[in-house]
Amino acid sequence: MNNTNMLSLESVLVQQAGNIASDMDGEKVMLNVKNGKYYNLGEVGGEIWNALASPAPVSLVVETIKDNFEVSAELAERDVFSFLQHLLEEDLIEFVSRP
Amino acid sequence: MVNTVQRLAYKAFGLQIYSELPLPELPLTDQPGLIGSISVIQADLAERWANIPKVSLSLGLLGNEVMFEIKDTAIFSVQDGNTIVVSPAAHADEDCIRLFILGSCMGILLMQRRVLPLHGSALVIDKKAYALVGRSGAGKSTLASYLMDQNYRLISDDVIPVMVQNGHPLAVPGYPQQKLWQQSLDYLGMSSSSYRPLFQREAKFAVPVHDRFHAEPLPLAGVFELAVSSDSPITVQPIQGMERFHTIFNHTYQKHVVSHLGIMEWHFSLIASFVNRLPIYRLTRPEQGFSAPEQAALVLETIHNQVEER
Repeated sequence: MNNTNMLSLESVLVQQAGNIASDMDGEKVMLNVKNGKYYNLGEVGGEIWNALASPAPVSLVVETIKDNFEVSAELAERDVFSFLQHLLEEDLIEFVSRP
Repeated sequence: MVNTVQRLAYKAFGLQIYSELPLPELPLTDQPGLIGSISVIQADLAERWANIPKVSLSLGLLGNEVMFEIKDTAIFSVQDGNTIVVSPAAHADEDCIRLFILGSCMGILLMQRRVLPLHGSALVIDKKAYALVGRSGAGKSTLASYLMDQNYRLISDDVIPVMVQNGHPLAVPGYPQQKLWQQSLDYLGMSSSSYRPLFQREAKFAVPVHDRFHAEPLPLAGVFELAVSSDSPITVQPIQGMERFHTIFNHTYQKHVVSHLGIMEWHFSLIASFVNRLPIYRLTRPEQGFSAPEQAALVLETIHNQVEER
């Protein structure tokens, strides 16, 4: 999968269907019905996940995290990119467009 | 005119059970249960069974109704979380029919009522409930029976209804009977001839435990998953992180109907609502030999340490 190499601020991503998500004392937990795997996305990961409920550019996800957790743009961008790559590797999100 | 006749009903799994079929192993009650009241009725289900959409040869589903057939025993229909209909086969064994009413049917009915049916035995230890779960033959009943011999009371055997209140799980009592395999009866020194077989084709025996039964709900304070390893010593290890979801899912009674009932989301969210407040351990024992005393000691030590840490 070279999907992850293509990730840029302009990439538009969306959640894959077929996941059941819930809240576990403030952390987002998830079950992928297809592969039967369980995930704990954590608090920040949960926000990133929520931001992709409908198709959104990575730049918007970075904005959301920067604002919600009051971190620098640089830190937000690094964390979001790294987390999105994990989500892509696990097939939990997909590209809508990859400029 | 107001009908003042008090109908007697049975009490089990937090339910008041009005039953057309005698359920002699259950105590009687005139009170509605913590979870509610249900009916067990007898009717001919042949046509209904023929017409219901099937998800497998022996399981049918339509709306809020789950039907299943046990050959030479009965066709069962569990409806809306409040009615179990039984259609016995000719010359069916009554004990066997009851085994399915008080097992499979209850598991499905509890899920229809959005109560988690955990598959295992629950006991009272230090005024809290602890569940022993594990696959068939892992030693749940044997360990439960050994602990009962040490004066720990039984809350439920086989199906443990778990309600969640303010993020804390509560174990609801089943009924005062324990099912044991022939092998564990021999180990525990009881004579199997004095107990009646639950089901002729299975070497399982029903042991009434009226004097060693705890009939009130208690907070569920821990789960021990029993596992067998060919040459491992007896060990106990906490199950952590998301694996706990897997453990609870795996030991949900009738887990195969969870997805068919369209309640996976409820099931997952329910586990998420309490799992952080429920210690879960895996207790591994060697395959050979009778090690219930050592297992019991380790369970008690683990619980003792857990209480100390609080």
